[in-house]
Amino acid sequence: MNALTFTLISRPKFTLDVSPLIPDNLEGKNITHIKNIKLRYGKEIVKLEKLFLIKGKNFNHVCIEKSCDKLIYIGKRMAKGLIDIKGDAGDFLGQEMKNGKINVSGDAGSWVGNRMIDGQININGNAGDYVGAGLPGDPYGMKNGLINIKGNAGDRVGDRMRRGIIVIQGKSGDYCGNRIHAGTIIALDRVGKHPGDGMRRGTIVLAKKPKHISATFKSCGNLKMEFLRLLFTQLIKMDPDFKIFKKYGPIAHRFSGDLARNGKGEILILQLINRR
Amino acid sequence: MKLNNVYIDDTFAEAFSMKATRIIITAMNLKWAYRAANAIRGFASSVIACGCEADIERELKPSETPDGRPGISVMIFAMSTKDLEKQVPMRVGQSVMTTVTTACFSGLQTEEKISLGKSLRFFGDGYQIAKVINGKRFWRIPVMHGEFICEESTGITKAIGGGNFLVLGKTARHALTACEKAVDEIQKVSGVITAFPGGVVGSGSKIGSKYDFLTASTNEAYCPTLKGQVKTALTAEIGSVLEIVIDGIDEKSISKAMRIGIEAACSFGPSKGIYRISAGNYGGNLGKHLFHLRKLFK
Repeated sequence: MNALTFTLISRPKFTLDVSPLIPDNLEGKNITHIKNIKLRYGKEIVKLEKLFLIKGKNFNHVCIEKSCDKLIYIGKRMAKGLIDIKGDAGDFLGQEMKNGKINVSGDAGSWVGNRMIDGQININGNAGDYVGAGLPGDPYGMKNGLINIKGNAGDRVGDRMRRGIIVIQGKSGDYCGNRIHAGTIIALDRVGKHPGDGMRRGTIVLAKKPKHISATFKSCGNLKMEFLRLLFTQLIKMDPDFKIFKKYGPIAHRFSGDLARNGKGEILILQLINRR
Repeated sequence: MKLNNVYIDDTFAEAFSMKATRIIITAMNLKWAYRAANAIRGFASSVIACGCEADIERELKPSETPDGRPGISVMIFAMSTKDLEKQVPMRVGQSVMTTVTTACFSGLQTEEKISLGKSLRFFGDGYQIAKVINGKRFWRIPVMHGEFICEESTGITKAIGGGNFLVLGKTARHALTACEKAVDEIQKVSGVITAFPGGVVGSGSKIGSKYDFLTASTNEAYCPTLKGQVKTALTAEIGSVLEIVIDGIDEKSISKAMRIGIEAACSFGPSKGIYRISAGNYGGNLGKHLFHLRKLFK
């Protein structure tokens, strides 16, 4: 069945909150109802049909075409179904997402997966700062789920995340895994300064040695971490895109920390490849 | 009815309801996975005194296990959920966690669950780490060999215990040869185990005893040495009776295992000392699941 497709007529001048465009909201509505959905656009409230061309029947599969970074809150609180974004996505992609899947063909803005509860977000391009992080005032960032970024990510990935997995296949900015409570961050390319600063628990897996690790992390030496084998095997089972993990083995240099804050977290720097 | 000239008694095996779970044990190689699996199935031949019945179900390829290492699937049966809750963490803790390089996972995904790593994590003394991956929660318990990884819980299901058949032969050697082949064939069936040592029972029992304190005692009607002394079920040429007891997750798997087991035992025929196949029948006092031997072949 055809996906319910929203094609952006022209690039908006202001940011546009498209949070109502989730399968949970659209189910049971006919096209006329959907066309009359009202969105906040700048100071105005406008009907959906003025901004998008709408076609398709499968309300469980939403497709946003010609998307751009002005579309914010895509997939907010979605609990089921699939959202395909052809183009870029703005800030707060998948905020408070409960389940389902979001695929972005381009880049995404900041605060991807903010307060995410479960589900999966795949970003083909780059993501901004604060992936999976909590907003100022939030006790936690993402609480569960999986964020997979094929490109690069900005600073403070996973800030205060509570659970879940973030995979960054490209480069990550500074303070990756900053203040994380738990969860797992995997960065397969270079990371910036101070990874894991202030982390309480959780795991940061780095494929490459970082520029700098804080003095409050203590080396445990090179170890065979069977957990990594489990993690990589499970990720490969979850998504064919994660076949990249086949080349990583379980041997890692383990740093425990942040000792300034409980010290039950760990940074694992992968040591060998092709040695499963 | 005869199979390869071996007489099949017109009787039935009487089985009873149980609860079962399946766990997956992995290790750096099969040798160490077997060490753990053999330890967990030790002293687990019968619920009469062991608390549970357990055995290896099959070997698993690395592609079939959660962590991509070689593994063994073990099934554990008990009379109730409460018994499983007691036996499984205790056995995994003492037999699997203590075996070098092992990890333990759930092999059964059901709604009803019992704890696995949820109980064992406390061994980590506060250094244990929980990880949720692919919707499942795992515990990483730091141990002296590295880390013991254990899934938080394992699913349990309704099951059946005590499916059985008796192989009546000329001598113990004849009967055992037939039984060994039968057990080899039964092990190819998914979802069943033969929990007794080697899959064969040398001392089959009846319910009750002349002694009040005993719930089960020797089945004298099938004891060759008592043929002249009691109301025997044996004919003159029979010198040994061995029993194969099968636990399974449903009637279908037990029926299949019994059928192929009996066929394997009968393949030896009277010329190789196998004369009769019978079954443990306790007059309907033991359980509600009846497996009629002759109906297995219809």
